[in-house]
Amino acid sequence: MAAETVSRGFGLGRPGWRASLDIVRTVFIARLRIILRYKFAILGETLLPVVFAALPILLGTAIAGNEQAAADNFFASTSAAGQGTTEFRLYMLLGANTFMVVSLMLWLIGYWVRREQETGTLEALYLTPAKRIDVLAGVTSYTLVRALIAFSTAMLLGSLLFGVNPLSGNFGVAMGYFLLGVPALWGISFFFGALVMRMKEANAVIQLLQWVVSFAMGIYFPVTFFGPVLKYVAMSFPPTLMNDAMRSSLLAIESFYGPWYQVLALMLLAAVTVPLLGYEFFLRTERRIKRDQGVGQF
Amino acid sequence: MHRGFGLSRPGARQYLATFYAMSKKVVVEYSRYPVAFVAIFVQIFLIILLFIMAAKAFETPGAGTLTYFAGMMAYGFVTNIILSFTLWEVGYSIREEQVRGTLESLYLSPTNKFSNLLSRIFAVLTWTTLISIGGLALVSGVVGGLPVNNVGMALFVLFFTTTGFLGIGFVFAGITIKIKETAQTLVNGLQFFFMIFSAQFFPFAVLPEPIRIYISRWLPVSYAVDLFRTTLLNIPPELAPVSIELVIVVAFGILSPIVGYWYYNWVDHKARAEGTLGEY
Repeated sequence: MAAETVSRGFGLGRPGWRASLDIVRTVFIARLRIILRYKFAILGETLLPVVFAALPILLGTAIAGNEQAAADNFFASTSAAGQGTTEFRLYMLLGANTFMVVSLMLWLIGYWVRREQETGTLEALYLTPAKRIDVLAGVTSYTLVRALIAFSTAMLLGSLLFGVNPLSGNFGVAMGYFLLGVPALWGISFFFGALVMRMKEANAVIQLLQWVVSFAMGIYFPVTFFGPVLKYVAMSFPPTLMNDAMRSSLLAIESFYGPWYQVLALMLLAAVTVPLLGYEFFLRTERRIKRDQGVGQF
Repeated sequence: MHRGFGLSRPGARQYLATFYAMSKKVVVEYSRYPVAFVAIFVQIFLIILLFIMAAKAFETPGAGTLTYFAGMMAYGFVTNIILSFTLWEVGYSIREEQVRGTLESLYLSPTNKFSNLLSRIFAVLTWTTLISIGGLALVSGVVGGLPVNNVGMALFVLFFTTTGFLGIGFVFAGITIKIKETAQTLVNGLQFFFMIFSAQFFPFAVLPEPIRIYISRWLPVSYAVDLFRTTLLNIPPELAPVSIELVIVVAFGILSPIVGYWYYNWVDHKARAEGTLGEY
């Protein structure tokens, strides 16, 4: 009996698929319940991408002199980079929105780890018989719902404000790419969660990575603007692929990853491998931390 | 016992001692998180590069407008970073104390609250200045030299701009006690509000006229941004003549911390009376 009690560290718990589902549902509802107390936060997520898109639009119009000149200049410079378009408003809006989704995923997972550390509940969570993957699945499902709400409302608001029509391109395909890109984002957020757990400085790491991500995924310009090395580094980053796939279908421009089937294949590959790698990295980091000082220290 | 201050002797020495001890605490805290320190530097360079690259995509070849806009952007950025740090370090650090459970115990101690709030930003502002100089050097390198004029006057304007921002930070700290978790979104929202409506990254001329007239002109931050960068670029301010902008900026720099601290005290008293100070 004693041996059974300590078996696999689950105490008296017997987590089966029902228990797993229950954990996912409980974590999801708990997170949702917390955020619903702060409705202003949800509103903020809707406005931020619009502001992010407004900055380069205003700046670009000022530099070029007027809107037509801005469109012409943007067409010329993006054509040179292999993705010529005059629809700079939609280009920026889509980039800013995709960035918001990526950023939210990182924020919410990273901050979840950090907040549990700070409030002293992370260690307690590790002592429960719940499987880590179930807890993470609950948190990631919640991040997906929040990201989807932010994306769709910001897209709607931005389209109205900037006078663009996102439905003019292949909207369905773009949304398909969006959903296909989500598992890879989860994978990255596991990497990120592990990083926060290890380094602890969540605020700084999140803020820095936000800008690294925005730079690497080309929210305001094609990554082909970069030099050869940086270009390939940026292109190997899954959010860049997702951003480019969505842009190419909505704006009817060529993807710099090649024809659609190559883009699709790459997205499928990322959707399968990145979450597995991310989760493995999370588990390894967790094991190392548990061996050293424990997960409760911050 | 003296007016509820326990055994302490409230006075200038105690204020200074509190300020020194709390500033030291901030420095010690930062030294424990070296990645955060490096991250601040890298982040600044990335933001500037991001916007310069975005601007390049719109430049008419051979027009030479990029240097002027880079100046507007880079000098506006200095005001932006000071405002951001003030909001995060003065305002949001109160939230962190709430979450960690140290806010209530801190307020039960006889330390001076003004020194406490001020110390949260002092050390950070010192290295923000260094970061800004580094950022400006980077932009200068990228665009082939930034115009730098009237440095003394610009520093004078920047001093009152900073004290004015401190007032906003105090107000935000008070609001944080009330709104709790939403503070994070609000600080982001405020940053972007001023970024857009006080035109921190572009000239005011870019904004639609109704926004300029009905929003930007009513924000003292707009005048601070405008006066600081046009002084350095040696061009006339966009919103009002220099003399008027100067009066507004100095008044903002003096009145804002007074009003901000008064508001913070009011919220703090209210929260203590209701027993909600430590709630989060």
